[in-house]
Amino acid sequence: MSKKRIAVICPGRGSYTRDTVNYLQQNGNSAKEHIEWMDEKRKDQERPSLTKLDSQPFRTKTHMVGENASALIYACSLADFMSMDTDHYEVVSVLGNSMGWYTSLALSGAITLKDGFYLIDTMGSMMKDEIIGAQLIYPITHENWKIDQKTHEMVLSKVRESGSFVSIKLGGYIVIGGEKKVLQKLSKNLPTQEKYPLVIPYHAAFHTPLLESISRSAIDIIDRSIFNRPSIPLIDGRGKVWSTYSTNPRGLRDYTLGHQVLNTFDFTSSVTVALKEFCPDLLVLLGPGNSLGGVVGQILIDNKWKGLESKKDFLDLQASDPFMLSVGIPEQRKILKKN
Amino acid sequence: MSLFNRAEVIDQNFTRWVAAGEFPQAKTVISLPQNDILKTDLISLFESQITSRHMDIFARQLKDSGECFYTIGSSGHEGNAVFGKIFSIEDIAFLHYRSAPFYLERSRKLHNSTPIYDMALSFMASSEDPISGGRHKVIGSDVLNLPPQTSTIASHLPKAVGTAFSIDRAKDLNLTESKLANESIVLCSFGDASANHATALSAFNTACWISSQGGHVPIIFICEDNGTGISVPTDGEWLEQNFSNRYGMEYIKTDGLHLIDLILKTREAEKACRLNRTPIFLHMKTIRLMGHAGSDVEVGYRSIQDIENDEYNDPLMHSARILVENDCLSKEEIIGLYEKKREQITHVFHAAVLRPKLKTAKDVMSSILANKHVRSTPKSPSSVLRKKVFGKEFDRLKYPQHMGKLINYALTDILLQYPNTVIFGEDVAQKGGVYHVTADLYKQFGVRRVFNSPLDETSIIGFGLGLGHNGFVPIPEIQFLAYLHNAEDQLRGEAATLPFFSEGRFTNPMVLRVPGLAYQKGFGGHFHNDNSLTIFRDIPGIILAVPSNGADAVKMLRTSVREAHENGRVIIFIEPIALYMTKDLHETKDGKWVHEYPEPNNEIALGEFMAYGSGTALTIITYGNGLYLSLKAKKTIESKSRKKIKVIDLRWLSPIDVQKLMKSIGPCKKILIVDECRRTGCHGEEIYMKLSQSSNKALDIVLHAAEDSFIPLGVSATATLPSEDSIIKNAMDMLNE
Repeated sequence: MSKKRIAVICPGRGSYTRDTVNYLQQNGNSAKEHIEWMDEKRKDQERPSLTKLDSQPFRTKTHMVGENASALIYACSLADFMSMDTDHYEVVSVLGNSMGWYTSLALSGAITLKDGFYLIDTMGSMMKDEIIGAQLIYPITHENWKIDQKTHEMVLSKVRESGSFVSIKLGGYIVIGGEKKVLQKLSKNLPTQEKYPLVIPYHAAFHTPLLESISRSAIDIIDRSIFNRPSIPLIDGRGKVWSTYSTNPRGLRDYTLGHQVLNTFDFTSSVTVALKEFCPDLLVLLGPGNSLGGVVGQILIDNKWKGLESKKDFLDLQASDPFMLSVGIPEQRKILKKN
Repeated sequence: MSLFNRAEVIDQNFTRWVAAGEFPQAKTVISLPQNDILKTDLISLFESQITSRHMDIFARQLKDSGECFYTIGSSGHEGNAVFGKIFSIEDIAFLHYRSAPFYLERSRKLHNSTPIYDMALSFMASSEDPISGGRHKVIGSDVLNLPPQTSTIASHLPKAVGTAFSIDRAKDLNLTESKLANESIVLCSFGDASANHATALSAFNTACWISSQGGHVPIIFICEDNGTGISVPTDGEWLEQNFSNRYGMEYIKTDGLHLIDLILKTREAEKACRLNRTPIFLHMKTIRLMGHAGSDVEVGYRSIQDIENDEYNDPLMHSARILVENDCLSKEEIIGLYEKKREQITHVFHAAVLRPKLKTAKDVMSSILANKHVRSTPKSPSSVLRKKVFGKEFDRLKYPQHMGKLINYALTDILLQYPNTVIFGEDVAQKGGVYHVTADLYKQFGVRRVFNSPLDETSIIGFGLGLGHNGFVPIPEIQFLAYLHNAEDQLRGEAATLPFFSEGRFTNPMVLRVPGLAYQKGFGGHFHNDNSLTIFRDIPGIILAVPSNGADAVKMLRTSVREAHENGRVIIFIEPIALYMTKDLHETKDGKWVHEYPEPNNEIALGEFMAYGSGTALTIITYGNGLYLSLKAKKTIESKSRKKIKVIDLRWLSPIDVQKLMKSIGPCKKILIVDECRRTGCHGEEIYMKLSQSSNKALDIVLHAAEDSFIPLGVSATATLPSEDSIIKNAMDMLNE
């Protein structure tokens, strides 16, 4: 029987939450040696080990700050990736949301797993002393998860007027980045929808020009030689495919440390390109958690993929013959896991 | 391996020969290290080449199972991937059907594009195909600046020349609606056999004609010469000897099997064209693989040795050799990449097979008038400005004038109101046209907006289509109706089909003025008195306007230009020559055929008829000269019969709303259709048929049309045409029944 072809999606910074405490403890065994190595490295840096952080009661001040959250998420994603049954599943492309791009680089082989940790740790710790700007998230869909074009245009217009930036195109949401004061003002101008607009704690104005100093530092600090050709096609935050042989490592570095730090991360396009250009049998969402599940569902609906037209269609499909498997959901993990 | 399934042979040869290191010898000796070309760029090009190849192979497999509908592929032409890489997306490209590698490579410049899936949808004629919506397998994309082409007969070349001309013209005019970048150039590809087409020769000629006069036509004609036109060989020297020494055009030859030579020569062509703004003929020598199309059995007309010789020179094998020689990839990596790409294409194509198709006629036809770029009409010019431009004519606007003069006034106002309009054609500038309809416009607006063209109708219309691609609303003139016939395909195959095959993503707005029809006094012969509009009857989407008097002509011309500007429509505006200077209707100096110039903004809506009289004893339906004659006849008919009749001027001949016409006819049951065109195929024939079909009452309909004859010279010129007397006779016969 031929292997199932899967596109792997790596989550971003907001994925380690109160609900995912003990994730590594429960699921980290597949990447045990790597986690131990990371714990050692963190010990050298006089930081709490990932194992310890994972086992502690969740505290936003501890678990959501960049220097801890980034490494924790990377470790969880890595463990999930390594837990998959490669005899039955073939990864045809890898992509990620925001910080998940760094994870994707490592999982695709464009950088080593150790350099992945180094890259993520470095980028995640850049704003240790002071976070530059902030992010807020706002929904742009109808109840059935179809994009509401009017709301979409209204949000984009308010973003332009306010002097903030589209940070992430995230399926049925727009993540907006900007100066804290600007976002506070913008929050008041956006119509309230349940808990939205929602400012995301401990998040900077990622993927906006405000992070220019971070990009410059990264280019200075990060060793350019860590970038190589991927062994699995990578899809970046514009939807560009970095193929196995024609990837120019220098271009990959310039994008990673420059362009994507300063410009909108279009996760919607990344997933769309994975769907259309690779037509995988399944989408696999790595943990921790399943925070991108709904977003991916919205992108499927937007593309009418598998004939999906609404939230109900998506949920029905997921219940009967799931097209998206989340390693963070125990029942679905079982399907993907090595025996 | 099958002698007939060359796709399979070529596919298997590739992996076998690469594994064995059996590469064909280079036809051009050139190496990588001397040049500024990245190894990853070569690999990227190779990826596009093999992607295209697998698409061709898989399309043939799916055709056998009835799931794919197009098998003219790009195999052998994979070198054109280089053009996709070198040229910017800003360089609009009119591509022929073997251009998948170009498309794939250009798509890489647009990061979120999905070229494999999109092309698969096009192969499968799915309604989700993002360019034609399932109407044709085309190489096209609005975001990639690739207007879709379906032509196999080089009919896209004249418009490519027009588009090239439009770039610098738009820059000179500071045209705000220009869509193409000032420094951009135009690409236009075609095969070696197509270079023989009259349309292609028309395009080369026009480009050289302009260039030789110092005009700017930044276009690269890319001739992809595979040495065979379906089954007819192109002699090895034919193209080079023909095009290497054309006045006004530079010739560059490149080896289409050699990526590095292609890159260097294409860069040379690109630099020269962009800098000098002059045409280049880029001659890419290549081979054709897998025959002309899936159904073509090549062994029927070529020896197997010739076929195998071409297969041995497969561009992919040459590219593989270059990659290995330059340490870009190992043989194993090449085969691995080839197989991985096969797997990817297989899955994408299988997914595309399942996507929906157009089902109903309504679905198919929904794009005939589509336009995704609706524009608003600019404000009318101020009276101060009008006064300045009209000069001494301004005070004469209030006096009744004949049609020729009124059209001239209307064109003046249109050029003032729409900065994106240009007028061109033979003799339209300094001479002001054969009938002076464009008199003084050259003086008023200058050579950039009113200019002469060579006497070549194909290039005149094609030029207009090209200008339409860049924000202009061209108003070309064809000097006489009979001259238009040799250029018919520019309307039928190109102008009318563009919205249809792009779902309105591309349009080529145009108002084509054509002096025509018969009844000219003292100037004759069938070439100047042509009385057939048949070719316009069946072209979906075009508008055919035939005004019969000056006031109507002005208002209809305004409507036409607005429709072209706002909705991207193509309008054929027929001006009855015999009525240009006509002033009187019933008797000398009665002045009943001169009119005051209609107030600005006064228009006649599309499809709006004009009824003269309200009688119900008889209705005459007519247009153009027929209206003039029918109104002359009306007086006599009513006097003789003592009955009131009605005369309806159709004004717009395509499309005709028959239900609306029925309403206008009202309770009348006797209908005389007066058509000055030849009986067979005339619009009267169509009206006769439609009225008969649509009416729920018994109608007595007579079609009184011109004889099926050509127009003779001299006093016999009107012998075959309806006349005032013949209309009276037909009407009286009907009324007396």
